[in-house]
Amino acid sequence: MAILRILYETGDPEKVIEFDPQQAPFQHDGQAGSILDVMLGHDVPLEHACGGNCACTTCHVIVKSGMQNLSENEESEDDMLDRAPGLTPTSRLGCQAVFEKDGEVTIIVPRYTINQQVG
Amino acid sequence: MNTDSRTVSKAVIERIIEHTSDTRSFFLRPCNDRRLSFIPGQFLSLQLPVDGKTLTRPYSIASNPEDGGPLEICLNLVPGGQGSYYLFSLVAGDMVNFSGPWGTFTLKDPPAAECIFLADGVGIVPIRSMIRRALVHHSQFPVRLLYRADCEQHLLYREELESWARQHARFAFEPRLDHLSNRADGVTDSFREEIEARYIKQDEDHSRYFYICGVGAVVTQLRDLLRGGGYQRRAVLYEKW
Repeated sequence: MAILRILYETGDPEKVIEFDPQQAPFQHDGQAGSILDVMLGHDVPLEHACGGNCACTTCHVIVKSGMQNLSENEESEDDMLDRAPGLTPTSRLGCQAVFEKDGEVTIIVPRYTINQQVG
Repeated sequence: MNTDSRTVSKAVIERIIEHTSDTRSFFLRPCNDRRLSFIPGQFLSLQLPVDGKTLTRPYSIASNPEDGGPLEICLNLVPGGQGSYYLFSLVAGDMVNFSGPWGTFTLKDPPAAECIFLADGVGIVPIRSMIRRALVHHSQFPVRLLYRADCEQHLLYREELESWARQHARFAFEPRLDHLSNRADGVTDSFREEIEARYIKQDEDHSRYFYICGVGAVVTQLRDLLRGGGYQRRAVLYEKW
């Protein structure tokens, strides 16, 4: 079993999801077994304006611990993260970071995932 | 009224154009006089009620920010795609919920360099608006579109693109037809080989910018080809659907 612990920069109460990664996907958006997939599949919302297609940064999360349990970043994710506000060394896109091992991952959902540009 | 991208708004489908039996444009008029500012290349995020749930699906904006008219999104019917099937069931007068604009695959001001747009299928949708932005700027740098589709009917906006090429000497439009049978889970050999030959093997000028859009592996294959061929990461921009 794996555990996803979700902290909110806004101060909202933390949430904990315990799940079996072998049961992924839990719904249709994002990579199967990704943080986004796990959250949406357990009725915990996370913004994903592009439908989990790695085309925006609205599902940006900061991994506080347990990075070793997640898949490695791919080039597309890094290209997109470069444009994420509040980027940190442990930033990931929820739609691309996939649970690859049992274990615990703790993430912080940033206060803002601003992706707006106006022309 | 101008609001944050995350605001969910309603829009009425003002009209629908059928490009082909499986490709349609929907013209969306935001309600409550919401004026949507966006950069060419951005997309809307539609919230679609499907099977008792809300499905979030992105659709690139084909229209021009300066038009001031309804927002055009253009999509094809994806086999098994819940979002496109739902939208294809709608008629003029129906309403949809959306947020946006979103996305960073954009062209606000064209770079001081040659711009090469590589569009595969419906990947032309955001690129259409980006090319218009590039052409209205007073620049001498060439703008070129290589647009691949699997049949004549799927070369969307062809007449318009040809007319731009006649109007602007620095714009070249080069349609390419490759049938699906030639594809091996991604970009066709002929399309890839042409790009490799023209921009890597036969040309050592790596100052140009590339904007790539399409569906599936074709996009990252072209990205890897160009970056691996000596173009800087920031000069190869892409959006993969």
